[in-house]
Amino acid sequence: MPTSSDALGDVAIAATGLGKQYRLGGGPRHNTLRDAVTASFSSLGKPRSTRQVAEQFWALRDVSFQIRQGENVGILGLNGAGKSTLLKVLSRVTTPTTGRACMTGRLGSLLEVGTGFHFELTGRENVYLYGAILGMTRAEIARNFEAIVEFAGVSEFIDTPVKRYSSGMYVRLAFSVAAHLEPDILLLDEVLSVGDLAFQRKCIDFAKGLQKRNATILFVSHNMFNIKTMCERVIYLRNGRVEFDGPTARGIELYEADSQLSEVTWANGAGLSEAGRPVTITNVALMDEAGAPRGVFDRGERLRLRIGYKIHCPIESPNFIVAIIRSDGVPCCNFNTALDGMAVEATSEAGVLQLTTPPLKLVSELYRIEILVRENGFDRLLCAQGGGSFHIRDALLDTHFGVFHEPGHWTQETAEAGVPKPPDLGALAEERRVRA
Amino acid sequence: MTASSTPLPARRVTEVRPGGRWGDLDLAELWRFRELLYCLVQRELKIRYKQAAIGVGWAVLQPVLAVLIFAVIFGHFAKMPTGGTPYVIFAFTAVLPWTYFSEAFRRSAGGLVSDADLVRKIYFPRLIVPLAQVTAPLADFAAGFVVLLVLFAAFHVAPTPAIVLLPLFLLVALALALAIALWLGPISVRFRDTIHALPFLLQIWMYASPVAYPASIVPERWRLLYSLNPMVGVIEGFRWALLGSSQPDFRAMAVSGAFIIVALAGGVVYFRKMERSFADVI
Repeated sequence: MPTSSDALGDVAIAATGLGKQYRLGGGPRHNTLRDAVTASFSSLGKPRSTRQVAEQFWALRDVSFQIRQGENVGILGLNGAGKSTLLKVLSRVTTPTTGRACMTGRLGSLLEVGTGFHFELTGRENVYLYGAILGMTRAEIARNFEAIVEFAGVSEFIDTPVKRYSSGMYVRLAFSVAAHLEPDILLLDEVLSVGDLAFQRKCIDFAKGLQKRNATILFVSHNMFNIKTMCERVIYLRNGRVEFDGPTARGIELYEADSQLSEVTWANGAGLSEAGRPVTITNVALMDEAGAPRGVFDRGERLRLRIGYKIHCPIESPNFIVAIIRSDGVPCCNFNTALDGMAVEATSEAGVLQLTTPPLKLVSELYRIEILVRENGFDRLLCAQGGGSFHIRDALLDTHFGVFHEPGHWTQETAEAGVPKPPDLGALAEERRVRA
Repeated sequence: MTASSTPLPARRVTEVRPGGRWGDLDLAELWRFRELLYCLVQRELKIRYKQAAIGVGWAVLQPVLAVLIFAVIFGHFAKMPTGGTPYVIFAFTAVLPWTYFSEAFRRSAGGLVSDADLVRKIYFPRLIVPLAQVTAPLADFAAGFVVLLVLFAAFHVAPTPAIVLLPLFLLVALALALAIALWLGPISVRFRDTIHALPFLLQIWMYASPVAYPASIVPERWRLLYSLNPMVGVIEGFRWALLGSSQPDFRAMAVSGAFIIVALAGGVVYFRKMERSFADVI
């Protein structure tokens, strides 16, 4: 197919000086007239300046970039860095306050999977409805219908109302419709991480297929594994501004440096973000057994972690938890003072905890550390912060072998002998020695 | 561009920039999304009577019940003058356009809020929402119209040749509902008060329209003011076209028609201007 006009140099997205300002708090944004009236009365006495300052907030500020056709670009940033706002502006859900952006080609965006599905309608009806909402014509949907249903794997239930679907089926069908949009530019907000791992892989393969068609994909993810497999370039946002725009590896490094000690994504909204947090982690150092700082470990090595903390108000028996999570979001293991029988004294203001792990048999991958503090075993969450990341190296064993690998003990029964051989005690003893 | 064996469609350029400019209607885009209008209307029709035992029967039952209540109170007790027409038919010819109008008005003014998720996450010309909401109740109107024809047969009443003008009166009701929705919709995105005020407003409006009674009982000195209510013209028009009763005041209708056109045009501009901020405030 001749694609001469789609030469590599063509710009698909050009953004210049994009900015988006939101009003915060009880400013002029009231849901009922009564609120608006009472607020305007109660603010009468206050000087005008104090009323306005706190209400303005730039979610995006002076964002400029150019993305060529066929490029896949990941958008990185901590919570509130402006990633989703950027996609909302580009997909025209909301208008920017300043700046402009130009996009060439058919634009498809998926900011949330399944918005627009109607619970009372059948799968089939929803495919047509959702397709139309995303901007497909009926002819296009009809042409792709079989493929959509097959990709989602819900063909038996296609004439069942989606309210009877499991959440997995629902999400798969919704993504499948969006995946068949055949856009030139696709904006994805954290949607590749829906569904089970198998479906995620399918989605990534699909996105790679789009890439082959020279489509441009811009996507937000907290999943570094997806970012690494999909993008050669990332844009790293910090406080609404472009902090870095370039090779993925460097962008991920920046992101990880920032997410060290920052609040973890899932804890956002768990009531933690308020001021007056009882505990904060002030410092995390990752070392090998000998105490030398390290970022890469061989499979089977021990990790040593020094965790500096500060206690702001008295807490009852805190439980410090170190969670190790694979880059695709799979929690792998967890060490905590409660289960390990370590009573942490929470009397002094600051302190340091040191954890030495057993030899980690995790397969070769990138892992991140989350440090949590809970009260009384696993009660109230007091603190959840990022603790950096590390690689585990192994020539053979990767995620195809599972989460971790330990040798098993094998015996063989043959027809002639009929009697199981006793286990090779010599080898067992040898292994015990190595472990200890 | 170099030539290719299959002509590629011209690449669409999407531009994103700050809002605030008036008069940027982009009606071509609305046309591109026409199939979404079709799908949303279809959705409205499909979900409306889902999981209801009588299902579509409600479309018929609702106006019938309303007429029965009117027949008892206004026909039987109050003995409204109907000019010789059986009261049931007299009321039905008005309940039909009124039910359509009130449904279209109520749903289109609140439609954006009930589709808030969509507005927050997906881009499409928001005008589609009120358009779909004024279109969908036409199906209920059609069902009610069939009932009316049955009543006509049962009471041996024949419509007049002016029945061909019926779609025109219906169009006035549609345009009126849409015009109000275009102004109220953006306000209801910001202030939910409008949604609470709607049922009340509709009730007052119904009594200010000749649904249960003939327009002729309105005192002469109020008549001019009264007929500036566009629904007076619509309902009188229905009765005139179907029953051959006295002609609606076409001069007053022309005035309110002009008003509707202005409100509609202004509403489209206002709506297009306001829709830029819907996702932020809804």
